[in-house]
Amino acid sequence: MAQEFCYHCGADCHSSKLIFDEKNFCCNGCKTVYEILNQNELQCYYDLTKNPGSIPKEIKEKFNYLDNPDIVSKLVEFDDGETVVAQFNIPSIHCSSCIWVLENLNKLNKGIKSSQVNFPEKTVRLTFNVTQINFKAVVELMTSIGYEPYISLEDASSAKKKIDRKLIYQVAVAGFAFGNIMLMSLPEYFQMDEFWLNQYKSFFRGIMFVFAIPVVAFSAKDYFISAFKGLKHKILNIDVPISLGIGILFIRSTYDIIFNLGQGYFDSLAGLVFFLLLGKVYQQKTYNFLSFERDYKSYFPIAVTLIDKDKNEHYIPVNDVKKGDRLLIRHQELIPVDGIIINGNALIDYSFVTGESFPISKQSGDKVFAGGKQMGGSIEIEVIEKMSQSYLTQLWGNAIFNKKLTNNIKSLTDTISKNFTIVILAIAIFGAIYWFRIDQNVAFNVFTSVLIIACPCALALAAPFALGNMLRLFGKDKFYLKRADVIESLAKIDVIVFDKTGTLTSSQSQIIYSGEHLTEFDLIGIKSLLRQSNHLMSRKLYEDLNYPISNKVANFEEFIGKGILGTINDISFYLGSANFVGVNEKDDILQTKIWIKINDEIKGKFIFENTYRANLASVFKQLESTFELIILSGDNEGEKEKLSRLLPVSVQYYFNQKPQQKLDFIKDLQSKNKYVLMIGDGLNDAGALAQSDVGIAISEDINIFSPACDGILNAEKFELIPRYLKCSKQTLKLIKISFIISFVYNFLGIYLAVQGLLSPIIAAIFMPLSSISVVLFVTFGSNIIFKKN
Amino acid sequence: MDVVYIMIVVSLIIALLFFFLFINTVKSGQYDDMYTPSVRMLFEDEIVNDKVKEKSEITK
Amino acid sequence: MEKEQFYYDNKIVKLFLYATVLWGVVGMLVGLMVAFLFIFPNYLEGISWLSFGRLRPLHTNAVIFAFVGNGVFLGIYYSMQRLLKARMFSDTLSKIHFWGWQLIIVAAAITLPLGLTSSKEYAELEWPIDIAITLIWVVMGINMIGTILKRRQRHIYVAIWFYIATLVTVAVLHIFNNLEMPVTAFKSYSIYAGVQDAMVQWWYGHNAVAFFLTTPVLGLMYYFVPKVSNRPIYSYRLSIIHFWSLIFIYIWAGPHHLLYTALPEWAQNLGTVFSVMLIFPSWGGMINGLLTLRGAWDKVRENPILKFFVVAITGYGMSTFEGPMLSFKSVNAIAHYTDWIVGHVHIGTLAWNGFMISGMLYWLVQKLWKTELYSKKLANSHFLIATIGILLYAIPLYVAGFTQATMWKEFNPDGTLVYGNFLETVTKIMPMYMMRAAGGTLYLIGFLMLAYNIIKTIKIGQFVGDELAEVAPLTPISSSRLAGEGFHSWLERRTVLFTILATVAILIGGAVEIVPLIVVPSNIPTITSVKPYSPLELEGRDLYIREGCNNCHSQMIRPFRSEVARYGEYSKAGEFVYDHPFLWGSKRTGPDLHREGQKYNDNWHFNHLLDPRSTSPGSIMPSYSWLILNDLDVSSTADKMNAMVKLGVPYTQFEVDKALYLLRNQASEIMVNLNQDPEFKKAYGDSNIQDKEIVALIAYLQRLGTDIKADKTALK
Repeated sequence: MAQEFCYHCGADCHSSKLIFDEKNFCCNGCKTVYEILNQNELQCYYDLTKNPGSIPKEIKEKFNYLDNPDIVSKLVEFDDGETVVAQFNIPSIHCSSCIWVLENLNKLNKGIKSSQVNFPEKTVRLTFNVTQINFKAVVELMTSIGYEPYISLEDASSAKKKIDRKLIYQVAVAGFAFGNIMLMSLPEYFQMDEFWLNQYKSFFRGIMFVFAIPVVAFSAKDYFISAFKGLKHKILNIDVPISLGIGILFIRSTYDIIFNLGQGYFDSLAGLVFFLLLGKVYQQKTYNFLSFERDYKSYFPIAVTLIDKDKNEHYIPVNDVKKGDRLLIRHQELIPVDGIIINGNALIDYSFVTGESFPISKQSGDKVFAGGKQMGGSIEIEVIEKMSQSYLTQLWGNAIFNKKLTNNIKSLTDTISKNFTIVILAIAIFGAIYWFRIDQNVAFNVFTSVLIIACPCALALAAPFALGNMLRLFGKDKFYLKRADVIESLAKIDVIVFDKTGTLTSSQSQIIYSGEHLTEFDLIGIKSLLRQSNHLMSRKLYEDLNYPISNKVANFEEFIGKGILGTINDISFYLGSANFVGVNEKDDILQTKIWIKINDEIKGKFIFENTYRANLASVFKQLESTFELIILSGDNEGEKEKLSRLLPVSVQYYFNQKPQQKLDFIKDLQSKNKYVLMIGDGLNDAGALAQSDVGIAISEDINIFSPACDGILNAEKFELIPRYLKCSKQTLKLIKISFIISFVYNFLGIYLAVQGLLSPIIAAIFMPLSSISVVLFVTFGSNIIFKKN
Repeated sequence: MDVVYIMIVVSLIIALLFFFLFINTVKSGQYDDMYTPSVRMLFEDEIVNDKVKEKSEITK
Repeated sequence: MEKEQFYYDNKIVKLFLYATVLWGVVGMLVGLMVAFLFIFPNYLEGISWLSFGRLRPLHTNAVIFAFVGNGVFLGIYYSMQRLLKARMFSDTLSKIHFWGWQLIIVAAAITLPLGLTSSKEYAELEWPIDIAITLIWVVMGINMIGTILKRRQRHIYVAIWFYIATLVTVAVLHIFNNLEMPVTAFKSYSIYAGVQDAMVQWWYGHNAVAFFLTTPVLGLMYYFVPKVSNRPIYSYRLSIIHFWSLIFIYIWAGPHHLLYTALPEWAQNLGTVFSVMLIFPSWGGMINGLLTLRGAWDKVRENPILKFFVVAITGYGMSTFEGPMLSFKSVNAIAHYTDWIVGHVHIGTLAWNGFMISGMLYWLVQKLWKTELYSKKLANSHFLIATIGILLYAIPLYVAGFTQATMWKEFNPDGTLVYGNFLETVTKIMPMYMMRAAGGTLYLIGFLMLAYNIIKTIKIGQFVGDELAEVAPLTPISSSRLAGEGFHSWLERRTVLFTILATVAILIGGAVEIVPLIVVPSNIPTITSVKPYSPLELEGRDLYIREGCNNCHSQMIRPFRSEVARYGEYSKAGEFVYDHPFLWGSKRTGPDLHREGQKYNDNWHFNHLLDPRSTSPGSIMPSYSWLILNDLDVSSTADKMNAMVKLGVPYTQFEVDKALYLLRNQASEIMVNLNQDPEFKKAYGDSNIQDKEIVALIAYLQRLGTDIKADKTALK
């Protein structure tokens, strides 16, 4: 049949098609959004982009907790009792239509005064009048048209992050000063001795001096600071020679103009600082729409529904939940703490935790772990662990999360700069001493010249530009790194540890039937029953079975979280969990099954199996030669032999690993001083990801949940992992080569300097030349590397 | 050639003026979002235009 | 604070639209008249106010300030309201701005043909009009900043920044280049002399191009190209960088107009360096503009407006590439003073400005009159014809320029010039001038088609004077609560500060400008033999200015063998110390005149001025017959000298008092010379030529460059 696509969201509206205004809709949600927009003259939402919408999530009591004022107060930026300003993070923003409709929210509700979208960050800032529309209503309004804000504990707890623009100011000052100083210094380069020029010299030089001051005092500040810090800890980091150079440049130039010895090196000074800062800016590329620092809090609801003795519901902040409390968990809500089901039937999706994509059904009395998401109706649980102690979250007690994320690998540049600095100082001093005996003025000249020309601008620029550029290239390929220097760490990796479920397996699943043969009639019956159910698994299976459907389904019933039953021609069908059909088999955590009972006879079961990612084998094959490969899984050994058939023999397997164990495992590897790359996805990997030298989270949808890590990899790019590693390694090689180049430059310069031949104009040409050529070299180099691999 | 003094001073004043402006624009967060404005400027208040059209039809 | 309903002011936009079309036709028509004067130098025989020297400034002023000016305001008034989501600050100010500007244009259209000019290119208008311009500019400034203040859109789109840049810079440049010492209601002398005057003039001259013809039009590009193609600008970040880098570099490119002149070498090189650097921001802008249309070429194919824009942007790219090229000394040595430059600027104006505005007009007329364009086909043919026009205009002039330059420099083995007679280098390029005229004609025809199309569209359309819009106002929130976000009502403070600073800047500038008046005389490296002009020569010089001789004749011999051989000793800075204003010129349609003095006898000049072709067959110089009809106006001679004294020209009190006596003496001497020619005696013996203007002009011409012909030494 010809495929028909939803006018709103563009999804294929297969089985259940709705028609409204001669337009197809895949679901009621989409249709409603269309109606809302239509009534409010917002149709051109659909003109700007084709099928711009996204399917709205049903709201129900979902946002009730926003009635709790002190929760709301944590979420707003400004509130004077009437006007309220709040910023929302909306992952579903993706096109110009989104911008348009969100900035026209006030057409939907007069209470909203103004709204401003920040597309790159996927946020919208709203100003609204609480007397006309309250916070909750605003959230629900946006959700109702498919823009559900992503509200998390994190936002509430962590103070609004302030954008730090210091670097931009520093660059601006340096650049501005550079331009003007150049203007002032050029005349003396062009013409040595001319009537007018001689008249202006002092004027020009004065201006240069004035402009140089802010460059040194403000723009270059951080170099001095870090150099000082370094020295305090007895480290000669790259900033030491840099600040030495800058300092000397300034002093020497000032000296020159005061005693009218020459025009000084102010232009070189400003240029140097400007280029260095540009390097910093370039390296500072960040993916604003991603968050690399999410901890468990961002997964969990801000508030939960507490049921007190007399069965009243309250909304309390999740942190206030105590042992023994009774909580109400609704459909689609996350279980915030470990507990025992009191009543209701749970169908729990642990995908955040394990990456396992299929829900597992639980009955009252069973234990449920924090992090699971309830899929059926609402359930009531009794808390057995405070949030902070629960199975998952106790991890966060671990030091690894509190310790500030500093790159524990010493950067290449700093290692080199150490010796470099010593050598330079030596040369400068010897040069000075040598000349001192001959001519003392020259001695000073030589000493300063050496330090000026040896200022390792090129050296300092190589890494930022190489890494920064690689970071961008990776980003284009949907591999997002937190910081550029992660690449440096990647290059050092020798062990790669994989999580299994969700990392090696993809969310696509295959459904296998095992049991007695099913007649076509049976299958038709099954399909027809499934059609009635909206349950996620029912839908899956429904689409999996290619049979016609009979519409003679009678007395259909659905037991949420258990299964469905119905009769066709007086033949009864039971589809559902083991104990629903009456098999006494413990559902194991990891296999999701639908049991089939026809006429009180157990026929068999449909098993939902995870499939491994495409070309998993080839990825491992490529990696095996260079890296030690380990699979570290929380699941049982069920899959082991299947894997070992698939993957190279050298791969090691560890199963049934608790999150804490995973973390310790990595620690242990590191203690054997290995550089470990951890690739995982679920919360249960979070510890390991944080502990490892480089932790990369794989995610099907990068905008939503991914545990704290150094990099986020879009799942569809899994097969590129070897490439990324290769590129990183070669980038580091590239940097090394560029170091050699800049050394050559330095020694050329020093050769002139020690003879006291360094004139301002030479410096003015020499320094930018060296920096720029090195920058170009590494930029092109890294591009080539990326293309080549 | 003393005019050079004037020109330099004047130019520097203009330049500093714009520099000052630039810093303040950055400070005020004008350049935090370097994409959305380019899309936003394309939007016109379509409804209003429709209304106007209707009006004009009526008056015709 | 409910959502506010308000109206966009389309009436003012409409007015500017009319003005743009009208002045476009006029300006180009005058241009065409000028172009034909090259081919038929006599077809306006004897009409003083239609002579080349007076029409050429009229043409440049008309197209730059009337056509492009109104076009830019048109775009600004339309886009600004919509970008800021606010009606213009004050309708009255808008109207004052419009009518004031038109008044100024009319004033220019009257005074320039009357020969009331300060002789500085693109700043020819005399001091009262200069003041009027300043006032109107301030009005516009208040109106713009006021609108920014009451805007309803927090972010200030990049186009607005380009407008602001224009506002501020043009104001300052205009003021500093037009600092003049008034003598009479319509006569003034630049306060700077010679080299200094040249420096300031081209500092202005270049930036007139930069900030009047480029930045605002770039602003228009950043608004209208996305609007018309309905796709966001290729890279907004790039556009921001483009703006700020352009601002900080442009201001310094001026001196490249004075390469190889008496300007100190370092100043020249400075100009070169910055001009070359300009290519980066300029091309950044061009690329940004063109890439906006990437993947939309199908749209371009069927939309004439986009076609215009594409060619416009390409033209911008070409001229901003050519510009830096031309500021390389080696290239400049060839191109300067030739028609190459004319071709270069017309690529900029015809393609970049003309097409940008044409496209804008076509789009706006549909928007304002809420209808489709009367004839898309007509627009397409306009595009075609005009494009051919541009090519037919520019290419021949490049050829002409190159031909002429090489002929000027060609030597015989014996060291004499191959084309010793300048005329040969003119007659050689006549065909090029004809093609140029043809190209110009095509372009004008195209523009007339636009005018017709616009009018027809207006006829069928239905104008909406006040367009209803509905936007929520900005809500000022105490900044303390929002850490550093672009949320507080920042611009309120900023703009006030900004205006204050602007005025302060201008005030300081004004204060600084007093300095030279005091110090100028003291420290010019004087050449002992250089003396002030005699009263008659001074009057003659003013005639030279009135007739706009400097439009075709330079007074600056560059230090090249070819030029020294042709004209004589190259020009020295010290020779111009009493030249208020300088008359170096920028184009040699005729030969340089700096060493003209004493080259020919008075009779030659007399005859040459009356009928150039009598002395130099094939010359394309118009005849200045009225110079023997008009009596020389000596009413203000003494005042003129006094003004000069104030500017540091060392006339003694005696000279000033005896001005007329001295003047008459010199005139009678010239009469003596003239009467030596029997022909002259026969023709004019009885009529008293002595009091006619021609005598003064001859006196001035005979004085030119003679001061140091005697001694080439004594140069500091």
